Amino acid sequence: MRVRGLSFFPNFLLREVVIMFTTAASIFLLASIFPASLLDPANPFETPKPIFPEWYFLYVYGFLKFWTWDIGPIKAKTMGIVISMVFFQLLLILVPFIDRNTEVNLKKRPIAVILGVITIAAVLFFTIYGIVFE
Amino acid sequence: MMKQLYEWIDKRTKLSKYWEPIARHPVPSHVSDGVRTNPVYCLGGIAFLCFIILVITGMFLAMYYKPTPDEAYESVRYIMEEVPMGAFIRSVHSWAANMMIAAVMLHMIRVYFTGAYKPPRELNWVIGVVLFLITTAFGFTGYLLPWDQLAYWATTIGIQITSGIPVVGPYVGKLLMGGGEIGPNTLSRFYAVHTIILPLTLALLLGIHFLLVRIHGISGRYL
Ligand code: HEM
Repeated sequence: MRVRGLSFFPNFLLREVVIMFTTAASIFLLASIFPASLLDPANPFETPKPIFPEWYFLYVYGFLKFWTWDIGPIKAKTMGIVISMVFFQLLLILVPFIDRNTEVNLKKRPIAVILGVITIAAVLFFTIYGIVFE
Repeated sequence: MMKQLYEWIDKRTKLSKYWEPIARHPVPSHVSDGVRTNPVYCLGGIAFLCFIILVITGMFLAMYYKPTPDEAYESVRYIMEEVPMGAFIRSVHSWAANMMIAAVMLHMIRVYFTGAYKPPRELNWVIGVVLFLITTAFGFTGYLLPWDQLAYWATTIGIQITSGIPVVGPYVGKLLMGGGEIGPNTLSRFYAVHTIILPLTLALLLGIHFLLVRIHGISGRYL
């Protein structure tokens, strides 16, 4: 796999440095144009509307709104929390132990690719669901 | 001159013995062929850069921030309005945080689709998921610190949801709040977790993560 190729330093690292400067520059630019916000001081007696969690938690929030079915004695809300927080994270950790196929070529692992695309689509769907449906 | 300095240091530290194998190892051609570099392999590095920016800007914020309900909001307002460059530093901290989460997610997606979690790299995937959870925990604890309406109520909802996990949930909720409600204990422990516990844990795991990448080399061609 590594018969030939350019050496890590300085050739490759130089390319990385260019990307790093671009990233840092975009962060500085965004920070100058859109400064961080600061709303009114916290008031435990007055709930503002609407309140959203950070965007990377929205899929959990959206899933909780989506899942409205009790399963036997288990309440819908509990199901929603267990599936989107516990079950999903466990599934992520277990990926290498579920997928025992050692093939790395994208075209030769269609099931893994389809499952990956479905997962991303689902996370995006519940993220949007979390924002749109009040 | 630089060369002499390098040799002087090297004679005393044998630095080159450790540094040169890293520096000289060839990058596989599907990552970079010398003309074009595949950008999906940069995402881990971008996440790391964001972390460094967060540590540096965080140190400056910590010089002014006060983690008590009476003073937190006022100290953030002071940073935004009176400290020279304060608003910029805080905004960079916030943008770098969002950028880091996005980079980590995309990095995870790249590792998944290139099949880089397969043997012998399973352990590094598991460490990676923990890194991802730590990154989101940074976001969750940091969100409360300004102690404004959004901070207070988003955290309230977050803790309510967490408390809904069967069996352990109520205890985790209590542990997060440092009691029965969101108050001074919550704020000071979120601050401790955000600025001491999480950064140290992340740094340690990142060390292992990078070491394993070095041991395995980057994964093979995926197309
Ligand atoms: C704080 C977050 C993280 C940082 C800073 C980080 C950094 C890096 C870096 C710099 C590399 C070298 C190659 C590359 O950049 O693509 C790498 C490789 C790797 N990372 Fe991460 N990573 C993080 C989170 C994760 C996550 C969330 C996962 C997966 C769940 C993961 C799994 C892996 C694996 C399996 C490799 C080896 C890839 C290969 O050999 O092709 N990492 N990481």
